[in-house]
Amino acid sequence: MAGRLFTRRRDGRVEVRLNDAGREIIKVVFVHVLAAERDPNHEWHLSLNAPINPSSDDDDPLSSLARQNEIASNAELSFMTLNEQYLTDVEAWAWLSTIQIALRSTAVVHGLLSDEKLESCAPELMDDIRTMQQFLFELASCF
Amino acid sequence: MSSVRTQRSSSTGSDVEVEVQSDVSVITERPWNVIVWNDPVTPMTVVVVVFRRIFGYSNNKCTELMLTVHHEGRANVWSGQRERAESYCVKLQVAGLQATVERDA
Repeated sequence: MAGRLFTRRRDGRVEVRLNDAGREIIKVVFVHVLAAERDPNHEWHLSLNAPINPSSDDDDPLSSLARQNEIASNAELSFMTLNEQYLTDVEAWAWLSTIQIALRSTAVVHGLLSDEKLESCAPELMDDIRTMQQFLFELASCF
Repeated sequence: MSSVRTQRSSSTGSDVEVEVQSDVSVITERPWNVIVWNDPVTPMTVVVVVFRRIFGYSNNKCTELMLTVHHEGRANVWSGQRERAESYCVKLQVAGLQATVERDA
Protein backbone atom coordinates (compact mmCIF):
# COMPACT_ATOMS: atom_id res chain seq x y z
CA MET A 1 0.00 0.00 0.00
CA ALA A 2 2.07 2.92 -1.30
CA GLY A 3 -0.49 5.66 -0.76
CA ARG A 4 -0.51 7.35 2.62
CA LEU A 5 -3.16 9.73 3.90
CA PHE A 6 -3.27 11.56 7.19
CA THR A 7 -6.18 13.79 8.18
CA ARG A 8 -7.12 15.88 11.18
CA ARG A 9 -9.54 18.67 12.07
CA ARG A 10 -7.79 21.99 12.36
CA ASP A 11 -9.33 25.46 12.70
CA GLY A 12 -12.68 24.18 11.45
CA ARG A 13 -11.17 22.66 8.36
CA VAL A 14 -9.89 19.21 7.47
CA GLU A 15 -6.16 19.02 7.00
CA VAL A 16 -5.19 16.42 4.41
CA ARG A 17 -1.64 15.20 4.14
CA LEU A 18 -1.02 12.89 1.22
CA ASN A 19 2.22 11.51 -0.15
CA ASP A 20 2.78 11.68 -3.91
CA ALA A 21 1.71 8.09 -4.48
CA GLY A 22 -1.45 8.64 -2.45
CA ARG A 23 -2.31 11.80 -4.36
CA GLU A 24 -1.85 9.95 -7.65
CA ILE A 25 -4.20 7.17 -6.51
CA ILE A 26 -6.81 9.70 -5.40
CA LYS A 27 -6.50 11.54 -8.71
CA VAL A 28 -7.16 8.36 -10.68
CA VAL A 29 -10.16 7.59 -8.47
CA PHE A 30 -11.71 11.04 -8.96
CA VAL A 31 -11.15 10.97 -12.73
CA HIS A 32 -12.72 7.51 -13.01
CA VAL A 33 -15.88 8.56 -11.12
CA LEU A 34 -16.22 11.69 -13.27
CA ALA A 35 -15.76 9.70 -16.47
CA ALA A 36 -18.12 6.93 -15.34
CA GLU A 37 -20.91 9.39 -14.60
CA ARG A 38 -20.65 10.91 -18.08
CA ASP A 39 -19.81 7.89 -20.22
CA PRO A 40 -22.51 5.20 -20.46
CA ASN A 41 -19.88 2.75 -21.75
CA HIS A 42 -17.58 3.18 -18.76
CA GLU A 43 -17.33 -0.06 -16.74
CA TRP A 44 -18.41 1.75 -13.54
CA HIS A 45 -21.42 3.46 -15.15
CA LEU A 46 -23.95 0.75 -14.29
CA SER A 47 -22.86 0.51 -10.68
CA LEU A 48 -23.32 4.28 -10.34
CA ASN A 49 -26.86 4.00 -11.63
CA ALA A 50 -28.40 1.27 -9.54
CA PRO A 51 -32.22 1.31 -9.40
CA ILE A 52 -33.88 3.30 -6.64
CA ASN A 53 -36.97 1.12 -6.54
CA PRO A 54 -36.15 -2.32 -7.96
CA SER A 55 -39.79 -3.42 -8.01
CA SER A 56 -40.64 -0.58 -10.38
CA ASP A 57 -39.95 -0.99 -14.08
CA ASP A 58 -38.66 2.52 -14.48
CA ASP A 59 -37.33 4.67 -11.68
CA ASP A 60 -38.36 8.21 -11.08
CA PRO A 61 -36.28 10.10 -13.70
CA LEU A 62 -36.05 13.18 -11.48
CA SER A 63 -34.55 11.16 -8.62
CA SER A 64 -32.07 9.54 -11.00
CA LEU A 65 -31.12 12.92 -12.43
CA ALA A 66 -30.64 14.39 -8.94
CA ARG A 67 -28.32 11.51 -8.06
CA GLN A 68 -26.27 11.88 -11.26
CA ASN A 69 -25.88 15.62 -10.72
CA GLU A 70 -24.80 15.18 -7.11
CA ILE A 71 -22.33 12.41 -7.87
CA ALA A 72 -20.79 14.45 -10.70
CA SER A 73 -20.69 17.59 -8.54
CA ASN A 74 -18.92 15.75 -5.72
CA ALA A 75 -16.38 14.26 -8.14
CA GLU A 76 -15.76 17.66 -9.78
CA LEU A 77 -15.31 19.37 -6.41
CA SER A 78 -12.96 16.60 -5.29
CA PHE A 79 -10.92 16.89 -8.47
CA MET A 80 -10.71 20.68 -8.18
CA THR A 81 -9.40 20.41 -4.60
CA LEU A 82 -7.02 17.55 -5.31
CA ASN A 83 -3.90 19.57 -4.45
CA GLU A 84 -5.33 21.38 -1.43
CA GLN A 85 -3.92 20.67 2.00
CA TYR A 86 -6.88 22.16 3.87
CA LEU A 87 -10.43 21.20 2.90
CA THR A 88 -13.73 22.67 4.02
CA ASP A 89 -16.34 20.35 5.50
CA VAL A 90 -18.19 20.15 2.17
CA GLU A 91 -15.00 19.43 0.23
CA ALA A 92 -13.94 16.70 2.65
CA TRP A 93 -17.41 15.15 2.40
CA ALA A 94 -17.14 15.23 -1.41
CA TRP A 95 -13.80 13.39 -1.14
CA LEU A 96 -15.31 10.75 1.16
CA SER A 97 -18.37 10.23 -1.06
CA THR A 98 -16.32 10.03 -4.27
CA ILE A 99 -13.80 7.56 -2.87
CA GLN A 100 -16.62 5.45 -1.40
CA ILE A 101 -18.36 5.38 -4.80
CA ALA A 102 -15.09 4.33 -6.44
CA LEU A 103 -14.57 1.61 -3.84
CA ARG A 104 -18.03 0.13 -4.30
CA SER A 105 -17.87 0.42 -8.09
CA THR A 106 -14.55 -1.46 -8.05
CA ALA A 107 -16.14 -4.21 -5.98
CA VAL A 108 -19.24 -4.45 -8.19
CA VAL A 109 -17.28 -4.50 -11.46
CA HIS A 110 -15.06 -7.33 -10.18
CA GLY A 111 -17.98 -9.27 -8.71
CA LEU A 112 -16.70 -8.91 -5.14
CA LEU A 113 -20.12 -9.24 -3.56
CA SER A 114 -19.20 -11.49 -0.63
CA ASP A 115 -16.41 -11.75 1.95
CA GLU A 116 -15.19 -14.98 0.30
CA LYS A 117 -14.94 -13.37 -3.14
CA LEU A 118 -13.12 -10.40 -1.65
CA GLU A 119 -10.55 -12.56 0.14
CA SER A 120 -9.80 -14.52 -3.04
CA CYS A 121 -9.32 -11.55 -5.38
CA ALA A 122 -6.03 -10.70 -7.10
CA PRO A 123 -3.36 -9.13 -4.83
CA GLU A 124 -3.12 -5.92 -6.91
CA LEU A 125 -6.87 -5.47 -6.75
CA MET A 126 -6.86 -6.14 -3.02
CA ASP A 127 -4.12 -3.52 -2.63
CA ASP A 128 -6.26 -0.91 -4.44
CA ILE A 129 -9.25 -1.76 -2.25
CA ARG A 130 -7.23 -1.63 1.00
CA THR A 131 -5.76 1.74 -0.02
CA MET A 132 -9.20 3.24 -0.67
CA GLN A 133 -10.49 1.76 2.60
CA GLN A 134 -7.58 3.28 4.50
CA PHE A 135 -8.28 6.71 2.96
CA LEU A 136 -11.95 6.34 3.91
CA PHE A 137 -11.08 5.42 7.52
CA GLU A 138 -9.00 8.58 7.76
CA LEU A 139 -11.62 10.84 6.21
CA ALA A 140 -14.48 9.31 8.24
CA SER A 141 -12.62 10.11 11.46
CA CYS A 142 -13.08 13.82 10.67
CA PHE A 143 -16.89 13.68 10.71
CA MET B 1 -70.85 4.93 10.83
CA SER B 2 -73.47 6.89 12.76
CA SER B 3 -73.44 9.57 15.41
CA VAL B 4 -76.05 11.33 17.52
CA ARG B 5 -76.23 15.12 17.30
CA THR B 6 -78.37 17.56 19.25
CA GLN B 7 -80.32 20.12 17.17
CA ARG B 8 -82.79 22.83 18.12
CA SER B 9 -86.19 22.26 16.53
CA SER B 10 -87.43 25.28 14.57
CA SER B 11 -91.11 24.54 15.24
CA THR B 12 -91.02 23.81 18.96
CA GLY B 13 -87.81 25.62 19.91
CA SER B 14 -86.74 22.62 21.99
CA ASP B 15 -83.64 20.52 21.62
CA VAL B 16 -84.08 17.21 19.81
CA GLU B 17 -81.61 14.47 19.20
CA VAL B 18 -81.17 13.35 15.59
CA GLU B 19 -79.13 10.45 14.31
CA VAL B 20 -76.78 11.41 11.52
CA GLN B 21 -75.58 8.74 9.13
CA SER B 22 -72.25 9.14 7.42
CA ASP B 23 -69.79 6.95 5.59
CA VAL B 24 -66.31 7.95 6.61
CA SER B 25 -63.37 5.62 6.30
CA VAL B 26 -59.77 6.41 7.03
CA ILE B 27 -57.30 5.09 4.49
CA THR B 28 -53.82 4.74 5.90
CA GLU B 29 -51.15 4.49 3.24
CA ARG B 30 -48.47 1.92 3.78
CA PRO B 31 -45.17 3.74 4.32
CA TRP B 32 -42.16 3.48 2.07
CA ASN B 33 -38.98 2.09 3.59
CA VAL B 34 -35.41 3.09 2.76
CA ILE B 35 -33.29 -0.05 2.72
CA VAL B 36 -29.50 -0.09 2.95
CA TRP B 37 -27.78 -3.25 1.72
CA ASN B 38 -24.58 -4.84 2.95
CA ASP B 39 -21.44 -5.09 0.86
CA PRO B 40 -18.07 -6.58 1.75
CA VAL B 41 -15.90 -3.51 1.08
CA THR B 42 -17.50 -0.46 2.72
CA PRO B 43 -15.84 0.33 6.06
CA MET B 44 -18.24 0.25 9.03
CA THR B 45 -17.15 3.71 10.17
CA VAL B 46 -18.15 5.16 6.80
CA VAL B 47 -21.66 3.69 7.10
CA VAL B 48 -22.06 5.21 10.58
CA VAL B 49 -20.80 8.62 9.43
CA VAL B 50 -23.12 8.63 6.39
CA PHE B 51 -26.19 7.71 8.48
CA ARG B 52 -25.37 10.44 11.01
CA ARG B 53 -24.89 13.09 8.34
CA ILE B 54 -27.94 12.24 6.24
CA PHE B 55 -30.50 11.39 8.93
CA GLY B 56 -29.05 13.21 11.94
CA TYR B 57 -29.49 10.11 14.09
CA SER B 58 -27.52 9.62 17.30
CA ASN B 59 -24.23 7.78 17.17
CA ASN B 60 -25.78 4.81 19.00
CA LYS B 61 -28.67 4.52 16.55
CA CYS B 62 -26.32 4.79 13.56
CA THR B 63 -24.07 2.07 14.98
CA GLU B 64 -27.09 -0.14 15.66
CA LEU B 65 -28.35 0.29 12.08
CA MET B 66 -24.89 -0.33 10.66
CA LEU B 67 -24.62 -3.59 12.65
CA THR B 68 -28.06 -4.66 11.38
CA VAL B 69 -26.85 -4.10 7.81
CA HIS B 70 -23.66 -6.02 8.56
CA HIS B 71 -25.30 -9.04 10.24
CA GLU B 72 -28.62 -9.28 8.42
CA GLY B 73 -27.55 -8.07 4.99
CA ARG B 74 -29.95 -5.13 5.02
CA ALA B 75 -31.59 -2.63 7.32
CA ASN B 76 -34.64 -0.40 7.15
CA VAL B 77 -33.12 2.98 7.97
CA TRP B 78 -36.15 5.25 7.46
CA SER B 79 -39.91 4.93 6.80
CA GLY B 80 -42.45 7.46 5.61
CA GLN B 81 -43.66 9.31 2.54
CA ARG B 82 -42.51 8.06 -0.84
CA GLU B 83 -40.96 11.35 -2.00
CA ARG B 84 -38.86 11.72 1.14
CA ALA B 85 -37.88 8.05 1.00
CA GLU B 86 -36.62 8.50 -2.57
CA SER B 87 -34.80 11.67 -1.60
CA TYR B 88 -33.01 9.86 1.26
CA CYS B 89 -32.26 6.95 -1.07
CA VAL B 90 -30.62 9.32 -3.56
CA LYS B 91 -28.55 10.91 -0.79
CA LEU B 92 -27.36 7.48 0.39
CA GLN B 93 -26.46 6.43 -3.16
CA VAL B 94 -24.61 9.70 -3.73
CA ALA B 95 -22.61 8.90 -0.60
CA GLY B 96 -21.73 5.54 -2.13
CA LEU B 97 -23.98 3.18 -0.16
CA GLN B 98 -26.24 0.65 -1.83
CA ALA B 99 -29.78 1.79 -1.06
CA THR B 100 -33.26 1.17 -2.42
CA VAL B 101 -36.83 2.05 -1.50
CA GLU B 102 -39.64 -0.45 -1.05
CA ARG B 103 -43.21 -0.30 0.15
CA ASP B 104 -43.86 -1.59 3.65
CA ALA B 105 -45.25 -5.14 3.47
